[in-house]
Amino acid sequence: MTAKTQARDMALVGRRRWLPLARSHGSASWHRVRYPLTRRTPLLFETRYNPFTLATERRLVTVRPIAWVLMLALLAVAPPLLGNNSFVGAATLFEMYAAINIVWMLQIGTAGIFSLASLATVGFAAYGSAALSIYAGFPWWAMWLVGPAFGLVFGVLIAIPATRLEGFYYALLTVGIAELCRVYTVQSQPLGAANGGLFGTDGFVPDSMSERHGIILGFYAAFVLLLGALVLYRMINGQRLGRLLRAAPEQHEAFAEALGINYRAARIQVFLISSAALGGIGGFYATLLHGATPALFTMDQLLLLLAMIVIGGIGTAEGAVLGTLIVVLLDKVFISLGPSRLIFIAAVMLGTVLFLRGGLFGIPAQYQAWRGKRQSERRAAQSDKGGEIMPEEATEIADKQAIYTKRFDANLRAELKRLISDQLIEEHRTTMGKRRSDALERVLAHFRSAAVADKYAVLAVKPFAEYRIIALSGRRGVPPRVVDDRLFATPEEALHGVFLKRVQDLMDS
Amino acid sequence: MDPYYLVLTTVTLASIYGLLALGISIIWSSLGMINMAQGFTFAVSGYGAWLVAQNISQSGIAVIAAGVLTGALSGALIGAIAFIPLYDKPNFPLRSLIATLAISLCGGQFLLWIFGPRVKALPKIFGYGSYHIGTAVISREKIGSIVCSVALLLITLAWSKNSRRGLEIRAMMQNPEGAALVGVGLRSTAMSVMMVTGAMAGLAAVLLSQNYFVSPFAGATPLVKGMVVALAGGLGSVSGALIAAVLIGFIEAVTAVGLGGQYVLITQFLFIIAVLLIRPRGIGGMIEHSRE
Repeated sequence: MTAKTQARDMALVGRRRWLPLARSHGSASWHRVRYPLTRRTPLLFETRYNPFTLATERRLVTVRPIAWVLMLALLAVAPPLLGNNSFVGAATLFEMYAAINIVWMLQIGTAGIFSLASLATVGFAAYGSAALSIYAGFPWWAMWLVGPAFGLVFGVLIAIPATRLEGFYYALLTVGIAELCRVYTVQSQPLGAANGGLFGTDGFVPDSMSERHGIILGFYAAFVLLLGALVLYRMINGQRLGRLLRAAPEQHEAFAEALGINYRAARIQVFLISSAALGGIGGFYATLLHGATPALFTMDQLLLLLAMIVIGGIGTAEGAVLGTLIVVLLDKVFISLGPSRLIFIAAVMLGTVLFLRGGLFGIPAQYQAWRGKRQSERRAAQSDKGGEIMPEEATEIADKQAIYTKRFDANLRAELKRLISDQLIEEHRTTMGKRRSDALERVLAHFRSAAVADKYAVLAVKPFAEYRIIALSGRRGVPPRVVDDRLFATPEEALHGVFLKRVQDLMDS
Repeated sequence: MDPYYLVLTTVTLASIYGLLALGISIIWSSLGMINMAQGFTFAVSGYGAWLVAQNISQSGIAVIAAGVLTGALSGALIGAIAFIPLYDKPNFPLRSLIATLAISLCGGQFLLWIFGPRVKALPKIFGYGSYHIGTAVISREKIGSIVCSVALLLITLAWSKNSRRGLEIRAMMQNPEGAALVGVGLRSTAMSVMMVTGAMAGLAAVLLSQNYFVSPFAGATPLVKGMVVALAGGLGSVSGALIAAVLIGFIEAVTAVGLGGQYVLITQFLFIIAVLLIRPRGIGGMIEHSRE
């Protein structure tokens, strides 16, 4: 192993970074590719100097954008090419649910309003636009336009209690509102109570298209919807409104208010925008499925959606999408089991909340916290680390030579401790000024090479009569200190006293 | 509008709603958990009572006892799954809410799987026939359900006032940490709370099943109603829940007579939203930090 690879291994102890490194040049450190007219960069690179080789290295701070682009490209290409009609249909549903969940995440995560009426908003807009299509002859594009308006109206209605209620009070109230909608749609004749839903709206797939092409068109329309939801999430969560709200997390609202952040207005704004977006998805839903059903308002459907965001992890867009993917896959894989496949989904959901703090995307953080806890437990259980530096500390020390010096000293002391015995001490007392054994010489060489600070020395109080042991200060102008009040009659006795003190210090170290 | 009829309907509804809401309210205030699986407890106790009625005895006491017992067991199960592993973990309120939701999703499907989609009818444990009170007619089952639920409510209130366990539960409602410090076992108290509230839901299931059928998802509507009544009454307040139950029962009765049955939920919700806008913690709600 060469010195270089050894040094690199040393640097990797503790916290390994698997992100790839690229060579760079100092002048390229500050070069960025930016989107036109913004300061945003497609990929965030960080340049730093390697402490060992002193070479410039560029590191990709996060691979998330690449993963998003790859996954979305896969989603856009794979299902229409490879899947049969039902698979493409399932992928379409996945895209629609993912869009709903991403927008819902804006309400729960960004705005911090724990609304469980997301699907009810979608349903309200779906029913509204479907009714306009059936009773007023609206074409499909008009349904897409009125959907957000319905969503906004519903959002305004349910935002009124949100101004006063907090957390679970609001969550429970929204569950109740969804139930109210369900009961109303089940009972209302104009909303198709007799047919189990309101059907027969205009669709965006032209009649001239073949069935396969129609399904693929629906798939791509839903894909665009998903992209739109992602862009909306980015625009709100990553920009001004999101930043304002991130400055006002739960329990810290008063502080944010003192800084001049009107967090209430920002919350309601995000809530209304996302309600309108959910309404848009509702309008799309009605045109895709040619109607709306009371199933949109049921508790089970809401639970499925909640399972999706819980499994992925509440608070991130990728969590919403991954959770949706898992639940839709489970739903479709076990479709032969009938309704009891929901037991599987519920079990996955239960396992997630019982064992994971923040869903699947919270696993790395939770694992790191767990590992850190275990490490500190192990370190605490170790009674004696022998003066060595532990690997976790080692990563924080820039001068690696110091670590090796310490390790060498620790090994040397351990070696010397083995040599100390009563015979050795006796030998030191009796052989003063004579030839000594190899072992004693080794011990003495170690003692003599100690640093001057706090080194023991002998002070002749009255020459040939009274000697004392002192400790040197190690600083010019600062007198040595007296170690104890023992007096020795001869210099040999005093030197042996110094030897005993050093042996004791060695054994104590 | 017949005042006697109005009063009788209000009392009937209020007693059932009170039973449903009180359980949710007590669990929230003592355990800090919203039990969305109360609906599952409701459905499963209906099936427990039905099984006993089919196989062992048709007598009213046996059926009620079976419902109450199944409810208590189901409550204990929910406590063991959703409270015991989670109560000292970060983000407990949200995680337990989701865990109880998962139990309710799982449980409903499980019941559907075992008992099938066909609804079951419980025997009429209070018999048939009716009495005249003033100008109104009241059936025996209504009287029976009023008497039973009021009795259970009174027993529960007396138990929580006078017994040692009730004292422990009230201590935990006021200050869980302080209660733990003076030697109240959080786990055992929590399990007894879950069992008592489960028993309440079980009784409510048997009583409501006199009018409705037992089915795997029968618990959804009572759960939502109990929840919003508890919300209007103020989560954690026993008296508030009872007042809210009476008010909401009254509104249901008035709406059903004056406007028609389909408007019941709408007027109830308008009332609840109005209450919550005026008093965000409900009629008798505790201030949040008094629980923490």
